[in-house]
Amino acid sequence: MVADAIIPPLPQSAPRSARRTRATVLRLALADLGHEWVLTLCLVLALAAVISPLLILMGLKHGTVETLRCALVQDPAYREIRPAETRAYDPLWFATWGKRPEVGFLTPTILPASSIIGAAKPDAPGTQFLDLIPTGAGDPLILENGGAIPGAGEVVLTQVAAEGLGVQAGDTLELRATRSRGGQPEQGVTRVRVAAVLGQRAGTLARVYAPLGLVLDVESYKEGMAVPGRGWDGGSPTPYASFDGILVLVPEPLTAVQRAGLSINTGLTRSDPLTAEAFRLRTGLPVPPDFHVYELGIQSGAIQMSSVRTIKDKLRGTGAILLPYVTDTSLRFAQANGEALAAPVFGLSVSADDAARLGLTPPPWGALRGELGDSTRLLQVLLPAGSVSAASTAIEAEARPAGGTLHFTLAVAGPGVTGVALVPTELLGVLRTATDRPITYDLGSGRFLLARTGFQGFRLYARFIDDVAGLERDLRREGIDVIAQGQAIERIRILDRGLTRVFWLVAVVGITGGFAALIASLYAAVQRKRRELGVMRLLGLARLAVFRFPIYQGTTIAGLSILLAILGYLALAMVINQVFAADLAVASQACRTAQRICALPNLYLPIAVVATVIVALVSSLVAAWKTTRIDPAEALREE
Amino acid sequence: MPYPGPYRPPAQPAAAYLTAAPVLAFENLMKSRGQGGVGFELHVPAFAVRPGELVALVGESGCGKSTLLDLLALVSRPTRCAAFRFQAPGGATGALPIDIAALWAAGREAALARVRRDHLGYVLQTGGLLPFLSVRQNLELPMQVQGLANVPGRVEAWAARMGVEGLLGKKPQFLSGGQRQRVAILRALIHQPALVLADEPTAAVDRTRARRIVADFRALARDGGSTIVMVTHDRPLMDGVADRTFGFTLEQVSDTLTRSTCREGVG
Repeated sequence: MVADAIIPPLPQSAPRSARRTRATVLRLALADLGHEWVLTLCLVLALAAVISPLLILMGLKHGTVETLRCALVQDPAYREIRPAETRAYDPLWFATWGKRPEVGFLTPTILPASSIIGAAKPDAPGTQFLDLIPTGAGDPLILENGGAIPGAGEVVLTQVAAEGLGVQAGDTLELRATRSRGGQPEQGVTRVRVAAVLGQRAGTLARVYAPLGLVLDVESYKEGMAVPGRGWDGGSPTPYASFDGILVLVPEPLTAVQRAGLSINTGLTRSDPLTAEAFRLRTGLPVPPDFHVYELGIQSGAIQMSSVRTIKDKLRGTGAILLPYVTDTSLRFAQANGEALAAPVFGLSVSADDAARLGLTPPPWGALRGELGDSTRLLQVLLPAGSVSAASTAIEAEARPAGGTLHFTLAVAGPGVTGVALVPTELLGVLRTATDRPITYDLGSGRFLLARTGFQGFRLYARFIDDVAGLERDLRREGIDVIAQGQAIERIRILDRGLTRVFWLVAVVGITGGFAALIASLYAAVQRKRRELGVMRLLGLARLAVFRFPIYQGTTIAGLSILLAILGYLALAMVINQVFAADLAVASQACRTAQRICALPNLYLPIAVVATVIVALVSSLVAAWKTTRIDPAEALREE
Repeated sequence: MPYPGPYRPPAQPAAAYLTAAPVLAFENLMKSRGQGGVGFELHVPAFAVRPGELVALVGESGCGKSTLLDLLALVSRPTRCAAFRFQAPGGATGALPIDIAALWAAGREAALARVRRDHLGYVLQTGGLLPFLSVRQNLELPMQVQGLANVPGRVEAWAARMGVEGLLGKKPQFLSGGQRQRVAILRALIHQPALVLADEPTAAVDRTRARRIVADFRALARDGGSTIVMVTHDRPLMDGVADRTFGFTLEQVSDTLTRSTCREGVG
């Protein structure tokens, strides 16, 4: 038993022993911190007092920038790219751009002039005028401002519009498209349901967002067309005639005053005398000997029928005969035998009297008319006398204006002048118009119809705010001048960078001070506890075990500090956020998420903890190194 | 290996140890120290402590007691010495003696530290208790450091032997000087080291109390199987208590060199 009693224990295996030693040192380190709790508390408070404001500062920076960013990222207005000028975009353009992945939403728009529409509660007398804007599936302006995409028979109003009209979502609204036709005011009325009212952010203008179909119908109606689907009557989209110039034949030469008068308020810019030979070359017709010929022209563009009418009025009483002409007639005839008719084509619409004065057979279609609704009158031809098809009743014709190819049939009204095919001037005028905007020939009705030219504008939203710059660049590369608010995000980025820099300046000063205090305090503690540390060595703790003593203490202090700092941060952040809550309400509404002026991303706090502990670890190394200089023999001597 | 449990008095008389091989022994040891041109040499012709002994090193201050204690504590390297051995108690099989001189020569400080940890205990002048641990924690620490399982009741039993069982929950700062020394002695003995070195353990206590402390110290050490080397300036204190006493003789060799020789029974 005694032998047993004096047998010393065998040393334990090494790894377990190392873990045990670490646990022992940790216990000692913590016990020491607890024993000197006042000092520990002061140090913890000092470090927390450094870290907590830094967290607040970081939170304020982050919260502010995020609130700004959020407003930007969330507000579709910053993703909008608007055309800076009106120009035509054909359906193919919309198809191509609509397919791009960066494009979140794209819809054609109509001309601003056609987009004003009256609106009122049903049967109410007062009419409010709103801007009618087309929308469609995926429109972020509607979706992200509390609206729903309107279906057929529905519209979405801006807040201003809804307030002005005194309607709410779900109410019925009467839209009144107005136009003036033949001097008479007309109104096309349709009833729609208000699907939603947009939030304030969507804009401060009185606007009504409607499906593209309704918008185009309104545009057509305003242009004088009928919209059978809505019970709106009006004309069919008959193309108008346009010309490149006018030949004027007068019995007496025009005076200088008369000639000058021809370019006033007519849109025409020149009037030159034309020789008989030039007239013949241009028309294929002989000049009657007792006439003087003048050619009226324009700098660029087309001469409209109204100009022709004005010139006619100005020359009233001079016995002038006006022959509007088209420079490049793309009209070709296919004869029965398959041969092309080689003769030039001239448009000649003159009255029987004038025809007689010119020594020509009067054309069956008579004088020039502004009204082009009668297609039978338009589709006639006097073939050159002696041509193969002169005897046929009809002839196939083909025109190739810029827009495409038109095939139609002309009635052969008889033989005309030798060497030239004569058609109504208006027909060539219509084909001239077809080079400016699309015109179709409707086989069923046998009429020319004005086709949609495409659209005069677009509404485009990038999918993400970062796509704006690229889209803007690509659109400009296509020659489309656009307006975008892409710089707004860049301004925030600059602000963020600046604030981050300021934060780090403050942080470096604060952290340096805080951890200098920690280093000094740990180092002083080691100095103060030389004897205790020596006793620990004497009791058998290895040099490297005692080395850990200040490291454990520093890490523990830092850990407690950061926890306290985080608690302080959370409490202060709550107070700050409450103080700013009212100001943030607008931003919150914009972002549809709770906005906080002082907020850190979730990951930041764990990172702060880890960073603090690591810095504390490094700080305690000086003190730890100091412990290795302590000799256990020191504890033995007690001077 | 756990301790055998609560303290039990040994069945054999203490004198039986005296015939065993020395725990620590050296011959012809010299340690020289020089500082500021003043040299000091300590000579020990022969030194040995046997298991269970209480050996007193008695001398005035400056005679080299602390220098010798450092040498015995294996924290100070002898300048010269012959056959410095430490016999670790090896139970039935018997461990080979450890050649301390060879370890010093080879600079194997880690091995020396291991010997210190496993076989030596210390009682410092003012206790050397860790102020941030309670008495119980202080007493448990040597066992924790050595990875020994704590047997329930063991600390209480040992504390009762030293008369400090009522102080276990207190921090050292609340103990009297005598209580503190008793706890310090207990801490040095509790893991039953082969050799306990005590440096003036009763310097802060009056003579009467000091005698009682030394008596308890001795009894407990012997029961636990530990050997004591105690340094003191107080010769009367050791009368009738120490098994052997070593004293110091000082001689001034020159203006700059003082030589101290330590011999048994001198002084």
